[in-house]
Amino acid sequence: MKADTNISEGSGIPAEARKILTRIKTDRTVYKRKLVISFIVLAIAMVTVLIVLKLDFKFMKDQLPFIFAGMGYTLFVSFMAISLACFLAVVGALGRLSKNPVFNSIASTYVSLIRGTPLLVQVYMWYLALPQIGKALEGYGLTGIQAYFTLPALTAGILALGVCYGAYMTETVRAGIQSIDPGQTEAANALGMTRTQTMKRIIFPQALRVIIPPVSNEFIAMVKDSSLVSLMGVWELSYRAIKMGRRHFQSLEMLITVALIYWMMCIMLQYFQEKLETHMARGDRSIR
Amino acid sequence: MMETDSPMVKISNIHKVFPPDIHVLCGIDLAVKKGETVAILGASGSGKSTLLRCINFLEEPTAGTVEVDGIVIEAGENDKLRTTRIRDIRKRTGMCFQAFNLFPHMTVLENIIEGPVTVLHQKKEAATAYAEQLLQWIGLSEKRDEHPSRLSGGQQQRVAIARSLAMKPKVMLFDEPTSALDPELVGEVVEVMERLAKEGMTIIAVTHELHFARDVADRILIMDNGNWVEQGPPEKIFNNPEQERTRQFLAHIL
Repeated sequence: MKADTNISEGSGIPAEARKILTRIKTDRTVYKRKLVISFIVLAIAMVTVLIVLKLDFKFMKDQLPFIFAGMGYTLFVSFMAISLACFLAVVGALGRLSKNPVFNSIASTYVSLIRGTPLLVQVYMWYLALPQIGKALEGYGLTGIQAYFTLPALTAGILALGVCYGAYMTETVRAGIQSIDPGQTEAANALGMTRTQTMKRIIFPQALRVIIPPVSNEFIAMVKDSSLVSLMGVWELSYRAIKMGRRHFQSLEMLITVALIYWMMCIMLQYFQEKLETHMARGDRSIR
Repeated sequence: MMETDSPMVKISNIHKVFPPDIHVLCGIDLAVKKGETVAILGASGSGKSTLLRCINFLEEPTAGTVEVDGIVIEAGENDKLRTTRIRDIRKRTGMCFQAFNLFPHMTVLENIIEGPVTVLHQKKEAATAYAEQLLQWIGLSEKRDEHPSRLSGGQQQRVAIARSLAMKPKVMLFDEPTSALDPELVGEVVEVMERLAKEGMTIIAVTHELHFARDVADRILIMDNGNWVEQGPPEKIFNNPEQERTRQFLAHIL
């Protein structure tokens, strides 16, 4: 903080100006200090509420390892689902921008249908309704096909989340691609590039920068929505917390514990998101 | 200056209609000889940029024929090889835009070798060696590893010229290359264009830059409302124009 009160002298800046610069810097420091104090007060208030509620902290501590054991499932489901979603989003976005009527209509219907129905319904659709479709198909003489339509809970969960988020991210990717100046495509065309080359070499790398923040956002949302796979009895974080809470009639403790775990995970993911954005923005001042 | 009889660029009876009924080009003919430098002048909205963009099919002509270096494409014809032939024309045609349109995610060098490596499948080393020659030629060797955003407008346009030249084009198209530049940066770009013309490149430039039109161009064409008004050598157009419309236009830019 030395520089705050120490605007270098002799640089040709008049004394009055230097005074003003110093005051601006001091104001900023004071603001930052007050901000930190506000956060600390807020944290103390939250802890006080927990104490006033007479939470059984020992119970929370004892159950922590059991709940934590579900983190593997949560992370696995989230990572698999976001990978699937990214793939579908790129294909979907190309479809939405395609001049091929078949490809375009499939992509548009996919986005519309998935965004227009609740994720909860979709999860059950993959898990409970799909086997019935398999059964119906067997009725048409496709023997043995039902086995492929009966999905394990984990697979159904990953498919449900991936397909759902893929639809939302399709629009994100499409918007990212469309945000790139048409002059870029023209320049690439003028060089004689094919559509694929233009997309791969020129448009996509630039669009990626635009879509990283919203996609990270989707990923953070997905980590929390992965708790929906608990509906199918996958022993992930929230499933374990809810189960333990019910068994011991201490749902409040368990829900607060698991909420804090999710919160910490999301704070960490946000940190990585910021790192990634800084990394992507290296090398140039602005995106034209 | 090398000149042969068969034209490098020949466009015949080009029409361009933007739906529903905006008739931008009304049956334009133009033949440009090898090594010739042609400047197209005209009020904004007269159709000169559209004409230029029809030559490399960034704009699809509604009717007419385009021929570049012996490759002939009719408007509206629809055979399988058409896309390939359009790309063949584009490989032989360099284009510089008013807004430069450099690739912001690539360095200056990467911008220049992108075409040769991706489109012409040249080895990266060979493309880089030629790119370095071009950088020296435009006087920007020291900017090799910078991103375009760190360059001035004039420097960006010179890199854009080098990027086109890296494809070893037969024709260079300039679409108002100096219109987006601060006045003090125009000179450096025109100087590069002038050297290019002197080295025998075939050039078609849409420009209002007077020095280029008067001293560099071999021929000037004036366009108005999608038709040629008048054409001829610069001395004649500037000193002794035949048409009243030409006189009006020149009064505006002189």
